[in-house]
Formats: sequence, C-alpha cells, structure tokens
Amino acid sequence: MYYVAEVKESDCAKYNCKQCVLFCPEPNTLMFHDSKHTAWVNYSRCKGCAICVYVCSDLLKRNCIQMVMMTAGD
Amino acid sequence: MGLEYVRISPGFEKYMPKDYVDLVQYGQFGRQIDVQQLGQFKELVEEHPMCAGCFMAYFIRVFYAALPNPEDTIVIGTAGCARLALSQAAVPFVYGNYGDTNAVASGLKRALTIRFPDKEKDVVVIAGDGGLIDIGFGMTMHSWFRREKFTTIMVDNEVYGNTGGQESGMSPKGVQLKMAPKGKQFDKINAVELAKTAGCVYVAKLAPTNPKRIAKTIRRAILAARHFGPTFIHAYTSCNIEYSIPTEKVLEDARKREKQDFGFYEWMTDEVKEYFEEIEKQSQEVKA
Repeated sequence: MYYVAEVKESDCAKYNCKQCVLFCPEPNTLMFHDSKHTAWVNYSRCKGCAICVYVCSDLLKRNCIQMVMMTAGD
Repeated sequence: MGLEYVRISPGFEKYMPKDYVDLVQYGQFGRQIDVQQLGQFKELVEEHPMCAGCFMAYFIRVFYAALPNPEDTIVIGTAGCARLALSQAAVPFVYGNYGDTNAVASGLKRALTIRFPDKEKDVVVIAGDGGLIDIGFGMTMHSWFRREKFTTIMVDNEVYGNTGGQESGMSPKGVQLKMAPKGKQFDKINAVELAKTAGCVYVAKLAPTNPKRIAKTIRRAILAARHFGPTFIHAYTSCNIEYSIPTEKVLEDARKREKQDFGFYEWMTDEVKEYFEEIEKQSQEVKA
C-alpha cells in the first residue's frame, strides 16, 4: 500500500494554475498536461508528502488534490 | 561535457533507456527553460532517495531547472543529504571529500579555463551547512579570498541530518536536537556577512518559497561567477525529520522562516550590478 496524491482532473482543469507542480519536491512526478490543462501524478514516483495538498487546499482554497491509499499495480 | 556528448548517435535511439531518450528530446539540453515550465519537460534530476517532503530536494529540483547551461556545468558536492539527489542528475557530479568541495572546485575551474579558453564552463558547489561552514570552513573561506570564479550554494538545514541530528554552526541559538539535548549555546553563524567580507561579488540569502525568484538568484550567481569572482547563495532548506516538521507543513514552515530571519536578501558589487542591468536591457531589446 502506498500513500499518494491524486488530482481531481475535472476540478483542476477549471483553474489552469500549475502552482502545485511548481512546489513538488520530487522531479518528474507531479506533471502538467498541456492539452488537458490539468496536473497529473506519476503514482510510482510520488512519496506522499502532501505539499501539493497544502498548496492547493490551504493556500489556494481549490481542493483539487487529495491523498489516497494505492496498492502496487493499480 | 557539451551538447555533442549528450546527443544519441543516429540509429541507437531504440536501444537507449526511455528516460534518456526523453531527456534528450524533451529535456533542458540546448534550450533555455523558464522555471515556470516545470512539470512540462523532462527534468535533469531523476528519482532520488531523499526523504518525502524534503525541501532540500525541492531546492535542488529548482536549481537544476535554473541552470543557464546544463551541458557545460559541473556540480560539486560532498557528504550530506544534498549529494543523494545531486548524484542522480544528468549533469557531471564530483564528490569532494567532506569539507574540501571549494578546494576541488578551485582546481577544476582553473583546469577548465585552460582546457576550454573560448568556452564558458560553470562550476557550482552545492553542499550543506556542515560541509561549507563547519568542516569545510577553511577551504570555503580561502577559495573566496583567492577570488576563484565559481558559485557556492549552501543548502542550510541547520543540523547534521544524515548522522542523527547533531548541532551545526548554522543551527539557531537555543534549539534542542536529538544529539544536542542541552540546546545550542551559541548564535547561528552569519554566513552572508562572512561571504561579503571574504570577497564574494554576489551574495544572496533566501527561503525556497518562490521558484521564480530562486531561479533568478541562481542564474545571477552563476553568470556573475563567470566574469567577476566568487558568488554565494545561502538557502534555507529545512530538515523535516530532525526538526519534526510534518511533511505537509514544510512549505508553511519555509514561509514562516522567510518572515522571521530568512527574508530575501541580495547584495552585489557595482560592476556586477552594471553587468546585470546591461544583460536585462539586451534581453528586453530582443523581446521588443
């Protein structure tokens, strides 16, 4: 079981803000999709620190990212 | 080093690892990247074993995105947390013994100047507070006294994080750590003033709360080091393990410290200031 971030893409696409991507400490993990205009997570690289949740929910009040438990292979 | 060294020989694309092909096709080599584009290109630094939520790892991520010429850069590090991520990047990395990073960098920069007289090769030291201000203090100061032309970046986590939490010269006064139960008795060393006195031409102090500003500072430090002399950046990169900061509060902590004692500070000599003004004027003319 892994604790990873998950982006609610339909909510995220409304804002086109990218702030969470700029504050993720892991390289090539929280990425931005150019055509869908949404952030997305490379689950196998996410370490579950939840800094993106702080940026999205606490700083920007947009609540587009949540932390979920995931099993390897999902 | 150099772009030719990075490119894949024709016909070998399908045999190379996917990550490497991505790095050449969608990476930073040979083009100028704005740090705001993070997440939309393949970054130089790869997966690394640093702790979840480590802000030193974040600073290093922005550092690599900010390099003006990654293909002509050598990074020097030493024992400590930072080398865990620095050694996982597609930029040559030299591991100095504990404390001698700036001596190694001095020799390397001089050798590169002789070997490539018509090319700019950047040397960047990026080490922790222990490596630069405690154990490497003499060599750091002497490289500045000699006015060696390279950049020194201190990623200051205010503790020896790798070895269980001993106090360092950069720990704040009174702080209790796992291996310093009585609390630190002395003040934090003022590294910025030391650097100014020792002859650095560009000195900055920051907390990593604004990626654009970090990138601008790093870029300026490297450009100034090419032509004028030693440059120094003091960056606050908290240790969330030894200081028991919950990972989701790491950015909040950095913002708090920025208001307290890590407010953005930048100092440069007059000639460096003129140089930057000229560069900015030129880039505006190009845009117009």
